[in-house]
Amino acid sequence: MAVPVIFQTIEESGLSVWIRDSPSIFAFWFILSLHAVGMGMLVGASMIIDLRILGVAKDLPIAPLKSLYRIIWSGFWVQVVTGTLLVIGYPTKTFTNPDFYIKIVLIALAVVVMQMMKNRVFSDPTLSEPAMMMKGKALATWSLVLWVGAVTAGRLLAYTYSYIKYDYKG
Amino acid sequence: MNLANLHMLLNHLPILGTLITLGVFVVALIGNKNDLKHACLTLFAFIALAAIPAYLSGPGAQAAIQESPDVSMAMIEAHQGAALLAFIFMELTGAAAVFSLWRFSSTGKWLTASARASLAVVLAFALVTAGLMGIAGNTGGDIRHPEILAGQEPSSAIGVMGASLIKSMEHFVIDTSQWIWPILEDLHFIGLILLVGTIGVLNLRVLGFMKRLPIAPLHRFIPWGIAGFIINVITGFLFYLGMPGFYVLNFVFQLKILAVLLAGGTLLLFYCTSAFRGLERVGPGEDAAASAKLIAACSLLLWLVVIILGRYIPFGEVT
Repeated sequence: MAVPVIFQTIEESGLSVWIRDSPSIFAFWFILSLHAVGMGMLVGASMIIDLRILGVAKDLPIAPLKSLYRIIWSGFWVQVVTGTLLVIGYPTKTFTNPDFYIKIVLIALAVVVMQMMKNRVFSDPTLSEPAMMMKGKALATWSLVLWVGAVTAGRLLAYTYSYIKYDYKG
Repeated sequence: MNLANLHMLLNHLPILGTLITLGVFVVALIGNKNDLKHACLTLFAFIALAAIPAYLSGPGAQAAIQESPDVSMAMIEAHQGAALLAFIFMELTGAAAVFSLWRFSSTGKWLTASARASLAVVLAFALVTAGLMGIAGNTGGDIRHPEILAGQEPSSAIGVMGASLIKSMEHFVIDTSQWIWPILEDLHFIGLILLVGTIGVLNLRVLGFMKRLPIAPLHRFIPWGIAGFIINVITGFLFYLGMPGFYVLNFVFQLKILAVLLAGGTLLLFYCTSAFRGLERVGPGEDAAASAKLIAACSLLLWLVVIILGRYIPFGEVT
């Protein structure tokens, strides 16, 4: 299948060239670093909720964990911004790799699961803690599985690409 | 200062530290002095951290001296092998010590059967470590002080065993399959999430975010953070054993290790010992002491620096 020319157009844009080739320490490596920090916020905070729902730290009240959603969503937007910049730097490399689509689907599913958890477990103040744990158990398990999958798919992007740039096979 | 100086500076602490702490630990166990046990466990954990740069600076020291005509490659290899085995058992001792500290720092119960068993495990690992440290020190001394050798070529069975372990680890990481490295990278990221997720949330609470949470139960997440730290020490060392040349002289890597030691030391000192007891009284809606907030801010910042420097390692590659 031919690679769409639009990827080449993006690669030739000033922003793309800067992200990819700038010797500045605030170009590619900095964006990549922030992408790792955002991952820690997004997945780390989700994991705390999941572990508590699954029975770790039983003395910890569940309801106040709702405020972790602020960290989850901040992390999510850090990932959207830095992720978009990384894709602008390497559009052909990204979109020709099937692993990228797996990663995006897993992230979408994980975010949906976290929102379902918020609606079912955290939005009903009448629920007792055992009831919250019962209702959230399956969602928490899925959340952990999906996040591990998303992180793995993301990490493997560096090892599974077939193009580096539009006319440059890797 | 080159890495040979640094290696000499760092390597005496794990060797002498283990021997001295082991001696005091035995006294503490015989005399049943709980404070002394606590101090020894903390020291073992700190020495386990200090052993990390001591080991990592070794190949740098090797690069600095291996050209000299009086230095034998076989001796260096034997020393490196003994050092790796000593390092592995030092880390096991440290991990067992941290587990004991975490388990008993909040309860203060030292006389239960499980407490005794965990102290016995620390003692057993420390005894093996002390022996291996002695061999690592001896074989290391042979490299630069051939005048103290009795025979011609030193034969250290332990050193030879360790050297073959280094070779087989390198082979495992690099040659077994092209997927080993990516899998290790993936595990390194999972470990990162376990570590910063748990320690990060605890730090944020101490700083005053999510104030409706009491602090004491957050202590239950620390073993998950420690597990992440252990996963990352293991996977990190496998990277290093796989491609030492990529890391030894890489200044970003060196800075990252420094940040890991500071962050790990903070974690150990304030969240794994009885220093945490003051924080455990902070209930929902209450503020932690200003000193605790300062420590939490440092811890958070240091882990952030560790992540960022980790991603910059390829940037610091020496070509």
